[in-house]
Amino acid sequence: MKTLVIISHPDIMESGSQQYLLSSIPNDTNITVRHLESLYPDFKIDVPKEQALLKEHDRIIFQFPLYWYSSPALLKKWQDDVLTDGFAYGKKGKALTGKEFGLVLTIGVKKEEYQPGGREAFSIDELTKPYQALALKTKMIFLKSLPIFQFSYLTETQKMALLIRYQQYLTREKDDSLEAREKWFIQELQMTDLSKLNEGDQFILEQTVEFIEENRDTIDELKMLLDQMN
Amino acid sequence: MEQKEWLLLELERVIQTSRDYKQKALLKSAKDLINEQVERIRQMEGELDGTLWSPRNWNE
Repeated sequence: MKTLVIISHPDIMESGSQQYLLSSIPNDTNITVRHLESLYPDFKIDVPKEQALLKEHDRIIFQFPLYWYSSPALLKKWQDDVLTDGFAYGKKGKALTGKEFGLVLTIGVKKEEYQPGGREAFSIDELTKPYQALALKTKMIFLKSLPIFQFSYLTETQKMALLIRYQQYLTREKDDSLEAREKWFIQELQMTDLSKLNEGDQFILEQTVEFIEENRDTIDELKMLLDQMN
Repeated sequence: MEQKEWLLLELERVIQTSRDYKQKALLKSAKDLINEQVERIRQMEGELDGTLWSPRNWNE
């Protein structure tokens, strides 16, 4: 699966959350990252190039800080210019059909405020309706969003958990069942850079993979027994 | 679950000595995954026990 991450942030160098996410991206040739403000400082978007990139990828991610319940201006312009009639929608516009589409949002206000009674009153799912509509119109499959609330207040442990969630958002199949996540971890543990470990610790990684697989077998057996009884 | 306790302790040691931040994050989340699996097994075993002892099945 090839993933295209389209980032829009007017001051990405100064953004702790964006820098953290950028450095979290796995060294994977199947991931393409595009920061729009660096590519198009004059707001003149290379439409054929952007459309070609969209065609080449299977999962499209918009990553941006939530500004007035929407994206920074350049990403909106990108949508207006690139997602044209005949390409993204309309009679002949089938270029995006069947692709997956997701949002990674950095948000300065805490999660609890995005609900009725909270200071922002509406949930993130309600506020991102235009993107859900975009996916619907272009026949893309909308993924559950990854909103990141108040990044600077996260503990180190929470940041590390976010790093892994983000990596999964870019690379794991969309199913988020325990089994799908096990598969992802096994693959990652088998690919991790052994030169960063002390001698002998590879054994612990192998044991970890084995243990995860054994647990899966146990879960499957229990499921079978329970199915038989019900 | 002795094996689990041993493995989690060993993983914690490896996290401390790994020289790569992303690798540390991966191993930390792998620990969480293992705990989630073990909890799932515990719940399913509980459900199985409950089903075996259910009066619904006594007359069969």
